[in-house]
Amino acid sequence: MANKSIDTIKYGLLRIIDVSGFTIFDPVVRLLFGEEPAKQTSKILKYIVIPTIFLFVCIWLWASIAPTHKTKSGQVPTPSQVIETVETNYRQYEREQEKKTAFLTTGSERDAQIKAAKERLKSLEEESKAAQSELTKVEESSLTEIENNLAPFKKEIEAIAAKLKTLTSSAKTEQTALADAIAAGTAKPETLIQAIADFETQKEALTEKRSELNKQLTEAREDPDALKAARLRANAVANEIQHTNSVIDHYEKKNREYQVNELMTKADAAAALASSSKDPKDILKAAKDQVRNTKKIEDVQEREYAPTSTVFWHQIKRSIFTVFVGFVIAAVIAIPIGMMCGLNRIAMACFTPIISIFKPVSPVVWLLIFQIIVGAFFPDPENHPLFVLSSTLPFIQDLGVNPAMVFSACTVAMCAVWPALVNTALAVSSIEQDHLNVARVLKLGFFDRLFKIIIPSSLPLVFAGLRISLGVGWMVLIAAEALSSSDGLGKFVWDEYQNGSSFSFANIIMACFIVGIIGFFLDRLMICLQRLVSFDEDGATV
Amino acid sequence: MKNTLFKSSLLALAGLSTLSAEQLDIEKDELKLGFIKLTDCAPLVIAKEKGFFDEEGLSVEVIAQPNWKQLLDNVINGELDGAHMLSGQPLAATIGFGTKAHIVTAYTLDLNGNGITVSNAVWEQMQENDPKLAVDQPPHPITADSLVPVVEGKLSEGEKLQMGMVFPVSTHNYEIRYWLASAGIHPGMYTSQDIKGFTDAQVELSVTPPPQMPATLESGNISGYCVGEPWNQQAVSKGIGVPVTTNYDIWKNNPEKVFGVTKQWSEENPETHTAVVKALIRAGKWLDATDESGAFLNREEACRLLSKPNYVGADYDVLKNSMTGHFFFQRSDKREMPEFNVFFKDHASYPWYSDGIWFLTQMRRWGQITEAKPASWYHETAKSVYLPDVYKAAAKHLLEEGHITESDIPWDSDGYKTATSDFIDGISYDAKKPISYINSHKIGLKDPAELDNQ
Repeated sequence: MANKSIDTIKYGLLRIIDVSGFTIFDPVVRLLFGEEPAKQTSKILKYIVIPTIFLFVCIWLWASIAPTHKTKSGQVPTPSQVIETVETNYRQYEREQEKKTAFLTTGSERDAQIKAAKERLKSLEEESKAAQSELTKVEESSLTEIENNLAPFKKEIEAIAAKLKTLTSSAKTEQTALADAIAAGTAKPETLIQAIADFETQKEALTEKRSELNKQLTEAREDPDALKAARLRANAVANEIQHTNSVIDHYEKKNREYQVNELMTKADAAAALASSSKDPKDILKAAKDQVRNTKKIEDVQEREYAPTSTVFWHQIKRSIFTVFVGFVIAAVIAIPIGMMCGLNRIAMACFTPIISIFKPVSPVVWLLIFQIIVGAFFPDPENHPLFVLSSTLPFIQDLGVNPAMVFSACTVAMCAVWPALVNTALAVSSIEQDHLNVARVLKLGFFDRLFKIIIPSSLPLVFAGLRISLGVGWMVLIAAEALSSSDGLGKFVWDEYQNGSSFSFANIIMACFIVGIIGFFLDRLMICLQRLVSFDEDGATV
Repeated sequence: MKNTLFKSSLLALAGLSTLSAEQLDIEKDELKLGFIKLTDCAPLVIAKEKGFFDEEGLSVEVIAQPNWKQLLDNVINGELDGAHMLSGQPLAATIGFGTKAHIVTAYTLDLNGNGITVSNAVWEQMQENDPKLAVDQPPHPITADSLVPVVEGKLSEGEKLQMGMVFPVSTHNYEIRYWLASAGIHPGMYTSQDIKGFTDAQVELSVTPPPQMPATLESGNISGYCVGEPWNQQAVSKGIGVPVTTNYDIWKNNPEKVFGVTKQWSEENPETHTAVVKALIRAGKWLDATDESGAFLNREEACRLLSKPNYVGADYDVLKNSMTGHFFFQRSDKREMPEFNVFFKDHASYPWYSDGIWFLTQMRRWGQITEAKPASWYHETAKSVYLPDVYKAAAKHLLEEGHITESDIPWDSDGYKTATSDFIDGISYDAKKPISYINSHKIGLKDPAELDNQ
């Protein structure tokens, strides 16, 4: 009995692994249940341990090569620097959350928090003082260090300048002497020409050397690493101070409750004035103020914290949402048209030229086209019903649906539609003739044929097509967002490229991993769906 | 309960400015403002981060835009309520050069703030042509005279020197043209057929978005560029180029960016517009606040805010250079430039008609305005774009609330600055006589002189 339930668990797990496409964990499960330990161990060794080691070797290679490759735009970040930027970015998300809480906190909790924040500020300020004094120390020492490094170059450059001077003057006298001699007929013109050419080559060699030295001089002027590190430390503390100040601000004058109270006292004062004053003008004004204030109080009470968009999790969420919107549009277009093409040769002939011409078009071109076409539908985006509706729906309201998102999604759809369409057509047209013959014998109507035979037997291939579509869509989305500045991972990458700060490179590499990992999971998701609708057991492995 | 809370918050407020006595009756309280990643977007960022917008009852989102064209399009199609714009943009949009839409401005965000950077190779050649430049701290201003042989050398090879600017109607385009033309180098004319402005060019100027300038210079597509900060300092810190001059040398205290909105928006939301300008004036004043010795009080904090990735995002140390009043021309050449960015002082943020007219004269000089116009057209166009009345209304509120002093604002001005000859070539500019100003340049279109009286 016990054995049977263990088996149920075991095969349940194996089924999950199979459906989700993580078949490499299959031997791990089997080993845990004690099935053929030797065989499973060897499988684990071959398909899990060795690939893991390989991954580590790759990371080690990256870590050891990156610091040696310097470009003018900065150094290639090492894995640890990338991990650091993940932390920094996550910290930014946390900071936004802190400010949000500060904005919404009420009552005595608020007073307590203000006190705590102020204490934190005090300790930070001390830390900052230490960091600053350290920085000045390092600055001074590196200044002398740079001067020392520069001295030999400067000397050499001066020497070359002096050499050039003597060379020029001696050449001048030599050349005039030669010219005189030629005029007197004691020398040949060729010697003069030779002398001038010699002088030119010598001069060129010297100037070349000088410009080489100048280059080295500029490089030697670069700030030493210790100084850069000290600056980073000082900046980090200063940023934290600024953040703490801003949090205090959000507890104090930017706090929602505080703003409401502020307006209420004003309203009370206006009311008092209205009731006590004898001057009709004052009364009118006070009454107007009162109405205005009541409205304002309502507005402020409803006001939400306006967060800065951060890569965790706002931009990630928005990108995933956009890609799914685009994907759904693509699927809704591709599947019916694909089925039509698969069922009817004339339809296939009609669509073939369109598919062949538009399939290879770059997403960038589609984006620009959609920007104009889709833009025309939203002359007044603020009040457009679609955006008004989306700002009331749960989950979606935080994402900020706007025209930029719509045309990014359309671009995704336009590029993702082709694989799904072609695969659907293929799937439908390759349904076994026997199945269709059976339908004919049974005299099934069109819809019965469609839902009982055509769709079920074409589903696995359709899903294979959809899987490719989602992959393409995700790839396209990043480019579309970068170009249209629709908030999301693509915009994050583009902004970082434009920021050009010393962290930008690491941030871009971080984004590369985030995009890759999400793409991986999207793909797995499609595999799951594909497996669930497949009849054959291993028709759709990677 | 409410009372104690109020007291505690009042205590918290002590030392901070008091809330305005009478808030404006704003039509729209949630605004989206666009900007380009440049230090001179500072007033927008500061007004948001220091709570000046909040105090006007505005909830503002400040959103980075990828390039000037998209920014303008987003303002026109209503996605943005207003934006950080090039001074030439509202004028060009209003007269229909490029995208046509009536854009107005009531606030000048800053003066100066641009530089011209050349690649290391070109700088070396310039040094060879003019030995005075071959020292650690060459004498300023550096004219384009030493660039002439470089341009001629290229031309004799059948090539044209390529340089970058940020937008056809940007200050940068007119400044680099001015700088080149003042040394006799022809930067090319716009014609109705040639909208790239390459006709007759000895140096070809092409458009590159500001943040991409250093990368484009490094890749060798261009040999120099004119751009705002921090992209000149970035070139120095990365060692890929040398800023040779700033626009402070080309035209001392020239207008740079404005805050632009559509005319329709301004008409539909007059009080909101005034409220935004109020917050911006306070931000500008905050940015230019100095102590008794003339040192900036708040610029370091401003740099800290600007260096956040969602604003300008460049390194704090790079931003700090120009913002706190010094500028690296080379790693060896650090100079004091306290007026590199002027946000408020000397009535900098006032929307002067004369500033608008200067841009119009340059548009005519280089052929962007394709036909000769009478002087009256220049005045009328400037007056339809620049809205000093909104500025003054906002200033009046601020004066009542005690945020500014009487002398901060040119209350009785007719909108024209006095004639000046603070240009690199010493030519005098009098906004009252736009046609004679256009005609006073050697290179560029000339108009019939009698148009000045029409």
